[in-house]
Amino acid sequence: MTSDTIMIPFYQALTEDVNALTAPQDSLQELRRSALERFSATGLPTLKTEAWRFTNIQRFLKEYPYELTSTPATTTADVANEANIPGLDAYRIVLVNGHLQADLSSIPEGKGIRIGAMSASTDAPGFAKWFNQHTQVNGEPLANLNTALFADGLFIELQANVSIDKPIHLIHVYTSDRHAFVQPRHLWVLQKGATATVIESTVHPKQEAVAFSNCVTEVVVADNAELWHYNVQQGAENFRQVNTTAAQQERDSRYHHFNITLPNTPFTRNNLSVVLHGSNTETNLKGIYLATGNQHVDNYTFMNHLVPNCNSNEHYKGVLLENANAVFTGRIHVHQEAQKTNAFQQNNNILMGDKATINSQPQLEIYADDVKCSHGFTAGQFSEDALFYLRARAIGEEAAKALLVNAFTHDVTDEIAVPALQEYIQGQIEAIMNN
Amino acid sequence: MMNSNEIIDDIANKEYEFGFTTDIEMDIAPPGLNEDIIRFISAKKNEPEWLLEWRLKGYQAFKKLKFPTWQHFDLPEIDLQALSYYAAPKKKKQLNSLDEVDPELLATFEKLGIPLNEQKALTGVAVDAVFDSVSVATTFKGKLKEMGVIFCSFGEAVQEYPDLVKKYLGTVVPHSDNIFAALNSAVFSDGSFVYIPKGVRCPMELSTYFRINAQNTGQFERTLIVADDNSYVSYLEGCTAPMRDENQLHAAVVEIVALENAEVKYSTVQNWYPGDKDGKGGIYNFVTKRGICKGANSKISWTQVETGSAITWKYPSVILQGDYSEGEFYSVAVVRNKQIADTGTKIHHLGKGTKSRIISKGISAGHGDNSYRGLVSVGPRAENARNFTQCDSLLIGNQCGSHTFPYIESRNKSAMIEHEATTSKIGEDQIFYLNARGIDTEKAVALIVNGYVKEVLNQLPMEFAVEAQKLLSITLEGSVG
Repeated sequence: MTSDTIMIPFYQALTEDVNALTAPQDSLQELRRSALERFSATGLPTLKTEAWRFTNIQRFLKEYPYELTSTPATTTADVANEANIPGLDAYRIVLVNGHLQADLSSIPEGKGIRIGAMSASTDAPGFAKWFNQHTQVNGEPLANLNTALFADGLFIELQANVSIDKPIHLIHVYTSDRHAFVQPRHLWVLQKGATATVIESTVHPKQEAVAFSNCVTEVVVADNAELWHYNVQQGAENFRQVNTTAAQQERDSRYHHFNITLPNTPFTRNNLSVVLHGSNTETNLKGIYLATGNQHVDNYTFMNHLVPNCNSNEHYKGVLLENANAVFTGRIHVHQEAQKTNAFQQNNNILMGDKATINSQPQLEIYADDVKCSHGFTAGQFSEDALFYLRARAIGEEAAKALLVNAFTHDVTDEIAVPALQEYIQGQIEAIMNN
Repeated sequence: MMNSNEIIDDIANKEYEFGFTTDIEMDIAPPGLNEDIIRFISAKKNEPEWLLEWRLKGYQAFKKLKFPTWQHFDLPEIDLQALSYYAAPKKKKQLNSLDEVDPELLATFEKLGIPLNEQKALTGVAVDAVFDSVSVATTFKGKLKEMGVIFCSFGEAVQEYPDLVKKYLGTVVPHSDNIFAALNSAVFSDGSFVYIPKGVRCPMELSTYFRINAQNTGQFERTLIVADDNSYVSYLEGCTAPMRDENQLHAAVVEIVALENAEVKYSTVQNWYPGDKDGKGGIYNFVTKRGICKGANSKISWTQVETGSAITWKYPSVILQGDYSEGEFYSVAVVRNKQIADTGTKIHHLGKGTKSRIISKGISAGHGDNSYRGLVSVGPRAENARNFTQCDSLLIGNQCGSHTFPYIESRNKSAMIEHEATTSKIGEDQIFYLNARGIDTEKAVALIVNGYVKEVLNQLPMEFAVEAQKLLSITLEGSVG
């Protein structure tokens, strides 16, 4: 640990007994202790840490005197309703700082469906088998910190061939009367042939205190299962987040991850890691980041091909306005065994702000020969011709730009399989561009 | 016809064709690195005080720097204290013509297919032959002198043109740039110096053949090329090294300065001893190459064909400082056996309207590991900067690795940057197509590889392109994807 990290207010608490920070009946005490040991060994990432070269996490953690709070808070229906997506027919689940608030939630029930608070699910078979199993979770300093300190989150386990008839709309509310560093932790397990759609939204009620979320979501998609996972990141000025999503896929499974980052959260870091344990899988990682003001958006993705005959597609599109700063890292690792892999990756950016910056690192690490892998990167401007064409048809400059940005992001929004959500995202993009 | 595994084994087992050693009396300093050795080298070369001081500054920087850890391979431990930092063929007397050059040395070049006298007559290439650090023969000097072109050994330049050397030395690669550059600054033995005066288009390709010969001597070349306003020069560098068991470190530095409207083309064919099939021996090629387009409308172009060395680790870079200046990087890197290549380029767009183009073609076979690592950065003042990058990798056999690590940083909204990378093996359908037309598999692979690297080889001057093509076919003949 460097002297720098000690300057971060809550760091003091970490050096004291971890027991004091967690519930006494906690059966995960041993796990937490070893995670904290791993975290202490590495400390917080610095700019010299390769994966954090362009994101100074310590600067963001030092901004406010965050407290490690695990006291459950509650919210009101009005706050939760802010996350409503018009026309979306879904089961709504509300989490406040990671704690399930049952009175605002409609939890799907039925045979083979187990959905509830993590703290109440430690006895589930899926929990025993899959909790904290992803290598990436054990390797990331912030994920280790989460393992050591998390209080609660959402547990989903679908038994074989169970599907939920409607999407689950998961609303994260972060609220606190003091500056808080919160650690939600989720585990979603889809057993063989199960299917589900999860849409995540974030709400932060207007208040003085700043919340910093360090969230970890573990996802398991077993043989033939399919998960559509949407993460809509619309925060507020007084919200910051580090989101770690670690997915594992078994044979013939399909995992579709959409990460849509929209304004106002000043700092967003998404760690997305998918590891393939079975053949014939399909993985789609799609992302949009539309950032304004002084927003800093960092997407770090890692596609780990361990076995043969798998397909992965990654496409991230960025629109950077004003002074926005974006970072994209896309690692594709193809193991020696993983023959016949098709792995594609694209990152396209439009820089519109005079001080907007983009740092991109698409990376291919290939150890198998019979593969097709590629990555592409572009950064540029609207085509003047396209703009002129629209202007010549009496479309104002702002509206024309909004239209072009919508067209630019269309590659990703077009693949959103929930029509209400698709319409909502497109509407949001247009509204932001028209402002 | 051999099956693919046999062919791959065959390539992997191929002996290094240019492995032989030459017996020439050497003048060698005791092993070890300290201030005394630096003073010894400086005194031996009769250097002015300022250069000694610069060397010592380099040594101080070297002591503070650490070996990097970010590279995509395990850096072998290198005992820099076990190396000897000075080796020079004993001076006999001043030479006026090629006939006076040591016949054994000439025979060495003959074996490499670089007969000095023939080249002088046929190709019009002036050769500054660097044989373990000290230049022994320089041709066409008179002709170049007439036009005011300076092309001589670094040592000579220090004596004859100290002002020019002092003005530009270390301005592109500072003495503290990285640990290997700092080491080079402290102990560099010799190298080449080129100055092209204003408005001169150098009438011939300038060429230097490096050759590492003495056992246990790291070779620390230093090349400085200055192209004054409105000038043009094309510079060739080619290397082969004899077979050795112990690894040899080569930490050269190349600096290029292009002033207004000047153009410098720098081409390399590198075929140093890659080590045997178990990765034993072989050269460590850790070179710092950087050019700066100082003036408006200037251009620097790097072309490299890397087939040798146990480890090739270099990033020929261009700083595009002048408005509307242009940088190019064309590279072919081939690895087989246990060779490692971690190479690429860095292009810094600082001036308005700067352009760059990067074409990198990697070929991995056997247990080779090939990485492209590159940086394209666009500064806030670089209005309308343009970059195009393409890096392709070809994999032959399932034991090799191929990686790309591009870094792209844009701080200007008017910049347009494009990057694309692909990795694949040679298509069965392509081979089948050629087979169906009566071309056997070996020839088909050679054809496909040739087509694959053509864009880069086209950038090389004629005689170099031929050598490069020969090298590639030796390295990869018979491979089936």
